[in-house]
Amino acid sequence: MEILRLPISASQRGKLISAGYTSLYSLSSISSSDLARELKVPESEALEILKAVSHTRGLEISNASCSIVEGAQNAWDMLHEEESLMHITTSSADLDNILGGGIHCKEVTEIGGVPGIGKTQLGIQIAVNVQIPHDFGGLGGKAIYIDTEGSFMVERAFQIAEACIEDMSEYNRFLRKDFQACEIRMQPKDILENIFYFRICSYTEQIALINYLDKFISEHKDVKVVVVDSVTFHFRQDFDDMALRTRVLSGMALKLMNLAKKFSLAVVLLNQVTTKHTEGSFQLALALGDSWSHTCTNRIVLYWNGNERYAYIDKSPSLRSASAAYSVTARGIRNSSSSCKRIKMM
Amino acid sequence: MAQLKNLERDYPIIDSNFQQFCVSHGIFSVEDFLIHDLYTLAAFAEQSISSERLKEGITQVLSIMDEMMHQPWQNGLELLEDAKRNKHLLPTGIEGIDLLLGGGVRVGQLTELVGPSSSGKTQVCLQTASNVARNYTVLYLDTGNSFSPQRIAHFLGKTNELVSAQAKDQILQKVMSNILCRSVFDIFAMFDVLHQLQYRLLYQDRGGGCQMRLLIVDSISYLIAPVLGGTSSQGRALMASAGYLLKKLAHQHNLAILVINHTVWGEGGTSKPALGESWKSIPHTRLLLSRDHGNNVRNVSILRHPSMASGKAARFVI
Repeated sequence: MEILRLPISASQRGKLISAGYTSLYSLSSISSSDLARELKVPESEALEILKAVSHTRGLEISNASCSIVEGAQNAWDMLHEEESLMHITTSSADLDNILGGGIHCKEVTEIGGVPGIGKTQLGIQIAVNVQIPHDFGGLGGKAIYIDTEGSFMVERAFQIAEACIEDMSEYNRFLRKDFQACEIRMQPKDILENIFYFRICSYTEQIALINYLDKFISEHKDVKVVVVDSVTFHFRQDFDDMALRTRVLSGMALKLMNLAKKFSLAVVLLNQVTTKHTEGSFQLALALGDSWSHTCTNRIVLYWNGNERYAYIDKSPSLRSASAAYSVTARGIRNSSSSCKRIKMM
Repeated sequence: MAQLKNLERDYPIIDSNFQQFCVSHGIFSVEDFLIHDLYTLAAFAEQSISSERLKEGITQVLSIMDEMMHQPWQNGLELLEDAKRNKHLLPTGIEGIDLLLGGGVRVGQLTELVGPSSSGKTQVCLQTASNVARNYTVLYLDTGNSFSPQRIAHFLGKTNELVSAQAKDQILQKVMSNILCRSVFDIFAMFDVLHQLQYRLLYQDRGGGCQMRLLIVDSISYLIAPVLGGTSSQGRALMASAGYLLKKLAHQHNLAILVINHTVWGEGGTSKPALGESWKSIPHTRLLLSRDHGNNVRNVSILRHPSMASGKAARFVI
């Protein structure tokens, strides 16, 4: 039945079917007041239903555009567009190298690791680095930081922001000795001002916020990264109905993908680990299960190797699997200071 | 199907008298008409005053339904002709898979690739798209922003070493312009796109433009997962109607359709394909992909195929 594919609620659909309307054609020539009377719903609801119908029918009739499908782009154009997309640096050159320049925009990147490996530090570093101005190769955008665990420390963000500005002025002095124009006018507090911080206390708040982000970002068009730290926290405890959890998580992931694509921003999701029993042994795997692991575009796993922190690319459509070392210093995420600086290819 | 009173505009024989007669038997729409016992209806019509007009009305409604629903019958010979002429195999460009499938993915059928995360499903699709795009148009429906033009350029650049740089660039442009990518983020958007596509393909079948032969949906499970389950069965109905629509597009317009599914944990600690039992019978061919630990070799095995034994396996490297 064609009514099935209209984006309307189940009760509205039930009323339509019991009144005998099972195809779009039957709804094409009826006025909203007649429909409201037949279905015994308020006229505003009837208007909504008719709008959904006319949108669907309008798509069928519009033969004007010459492309096969409305909104499709061809791969050649996309290739050129991709070359002009910027990346968000992580301040560690090794890490940036294996990531192909940094965190990609228009993609959802999931970063997971054991507690204490530096996920929150990486999240704060990315929220600061996205604000690096265009002159220094950054995006010059703002950041949204969604905190579910309460692990965002403002003093640490201030410290990282200060270090970032110091690095920028040093770079300035180094390379542009004769240019006075690019004076750093940024102060650490400006950087902090450009981070929009949300604190979430339950999973319903998390879902509501993700739904609200569309409107928020349309009003603040210069937001270029959304960091969610961490996306797992409220979904791990007391969730009785696992099927509901899967549905809610997939819906949330789709909305985040949509945001990333629509506003050309990067979405970074921080995840925790859990133990999984595979092939007779217990292994550490990222939390939230198999269905969630399919929903990100890129996945980076952080792990300990001896005394060093390593990052490993687990899933990516265009990058090779590789791992690199990094370290967490007082100034933020930086290259690992060990003598072994080679990038290990897997 | 329309309400009977909406038909009055086009077919004056179905006047208010006829409608009154139908309502007295509980018939409001054409669908109710089909369910009702037509002999008793005709008998009642005989007994009432304007029996001739009522009987004409009944025949009129039946002929309308015939018009709307009639599909021509085909015999086995015609089907064989159609298969030989139109339903070819499209090579994927990956040796292991082409050998396993006896040539490639078949036009007119729905092929499913299922596998755990990062087992190479998207890569197989990108490789197949780049291979088929040399001669035909390809439409890639992307749900996870994982369509990577760089990767396609890489696959295309690997072959053709004997050609000059400029010619390579031209070939690259020509082939990549044949690949169209569209992002869809919910199942209703996918239905919209498929219906638009249906209209476009009707136009194409009459001889316009470069033929489209491959449709890739990456991944359909990601679109269906948010609506499946729960108290209402709408999710399963949407899934079934999506499968039905894809198979109809494949058969009527000579497309090969490749969909991607993921795996979930089943009982006993093994992984099984997502989307459940009802989805199992929808694709014609199902291939299971997996990755060996530690190296880049992938395994593909047949879970279901219309003409080959399941369990056959092959290995390949991307």
